Amino acid sequence: MAKKTSSTTHTKGTSGHSVVYIVGDSPLVEEYANLCADKGYSVVVDWNESPKPAPKFEGTVKVSSTTARNTAVALELTIADKEHKKKNLVTLDKALAATAPILTNSVTVAATEQATWISGKHRLVGIGALPSFSQQRIVETAPTVHTPKETVEVVQRFMQSLGKEIEVVQDRVGMVLPRILCQLVNEATFVVQEDVATPQDVDTAMKLGTNYPLGPIEWGGKIGFKHVYSVLSAIENDLSEDRYRISPLLKMLAHTGEWWKKQ
Amino acid sequence: MVKHFGIVGAGTMGSGIAQAAALSGVDVLLYDVNDTILRQALERIKYDFRKGVNRGKLTQEQMTEAFGRIHPRTKLHDLKQCEFIVEAVIEDLTVKKDLFRHLEADTKPTTILATNTSSLSVTAMASVLRVPERAVGLHFFNPAHIMKLVEVVRGERTSQETVDHTIELAKQIDKTPVVAKDTPGFIVNRVARPFYGEALRLLGENVATVEQIDRIVKEGGGFAMGPFELMDLIGIDINFAVTQSMYEQYFGEPRYRPHLIQKRMVDAGHIGRKSGQGFYKYEDKK
Repeated sequence: MAKKTSSTTHTKGTSGHSVVYIVGDSPLVEEYANLCADKGYSVVVDWNESPKPAPKFEGTVKVSSTTARNTAVALELTIADKEHKKKNLVTLDKALAATAPILTNSVTVAATEQATWISGKHRLVGIGALPSFSQQRIVETAPTVHTPKETVEVVQRFMQSLGKEIEVVQDRVGMVLPRILCQLVNEATFVVQEDVATPQDVDTAMKLGTNYPLGPIEWGGKIGFKHVYSVLSAIENDLSEDRYRISPLLKMLAHTGEWWKKQ
Repeated sequence: MVKHFGIVGAGTMGSGIAQAAALSGVDVLLYDVNDTILRQALERIKYDFRKGVNRGKLTQEQMTEAFGRIHPRTKLHDLKQCEFIVEAVIEDLTVKKDLFRHLEADTKPTTILATNTSSLSVTAMASVLRVPERAVGLHFFNPAHIMKLVEVVRGERTSQETVDHTIELAKQIDKTPVVAKDTPGFIVNRVARPFYGEALRLLGENVATVEQIDRIVKEGGGFAMGPFELMDLIGIDINFAVTQSMYEQYFGEPRYRPHLIQKRMVDAGHIGRKSGQGFYKYEDKK
């Protein structure tokens, strides 16, 4: 990408390659690690999904649980496990240089709430990240009340170096795309559960009838039904509205995998 | 195989269906009570066929042949020879019930009677028939000659045989059928609700602007159109009416609750592209 030069200048580490430190949920970690490595960053992944072995990464990705002091940008990509996220953020906040920003996935927990866990509140910026969307051009970004303009600019340049643009939105649980998409998946599972139509017909209908790039059931599979469930539970808790109630079928899918195939 | 396909109502949907069917080689008996509407429909179809010829999608011969397969009719009992009849008249349950009664009296007992309704109950319509098993929903999407999808709607008393024949007919006229139980919104209008509803809520809660939400959905999610662009295209009045109808038919299910923003825009006359302004301004139309 053409914009790489300007950004690597800004975030250059002592080693010559800027270091991006990534921690969080699979498969988001893999997606972002490969993306960053592909754009020339030295990527360090803290693989904390053990006993599941770390996947094979492309190129310059290193697996290590020691936070590099020269980290230019850290990504915390945990989707829903709040305790895990908190632990990761506290560790990062202690280990990183004061100038290094942390981009934290704020789809299920608002970045502002996450900022209460650490002392370096200025460095925290929320981003919207769900599996299978890391190749898209736009990333939702949610600064908190503590985030200075300069930090948002660093995030913007970093995302530009990955070939992306940021769209600055309000810091709310569910953000924009996850809230719309997960409710589409939810409605589709209600339709299947009520025997209104088969999952295949729901997908066909939405692709041909409304020109969606994927059917909602296919999307659920790609994002992961358990992640869809996490996003919707978070919104349901946050807004206390009955419209975010999750279909029993979606719950089942989240807990057991692709259950409807066995019907 | 259906040889004679009856269509009742020569409005936008009826003529679109006729066009699609004629192109696939079925003889169409296109009925309308109003001779003027019927003539206009034929003009529209001819115009569209010519466009196809000019674009090289259709040969002159194919066009003449297809056009020759559409037979205008102004008497309902002229549809007697049809094995399959679909109605595409006004969305009014009383009108449609009346029509079904007349069709039952005027057709062979084996003829399938289908409705292109998008918002009414197929089951309620079928209830006026002596043999409700022969009634089914066949929901086309606008423009009907282009959109591949049709929803085959199984009413409470629709027979499996009727559903099977309807699926066959859909395939015969080059459509892709999906089967839905007779419930409000069927599949598409129901599953699409959150696309608009959540976008409106996000806007109402000031999470992001109209432009931002559309951009995020398109360039962050891979959709061809954003929810606000799409509402402008459909018509905010239409979208609001569909949402309201779903909400009422589901006895106030909160997932389908309309949003005040929609109503305000309708009140203001900002109903989308067709009025020159919706969520966006359209300079070319006013």
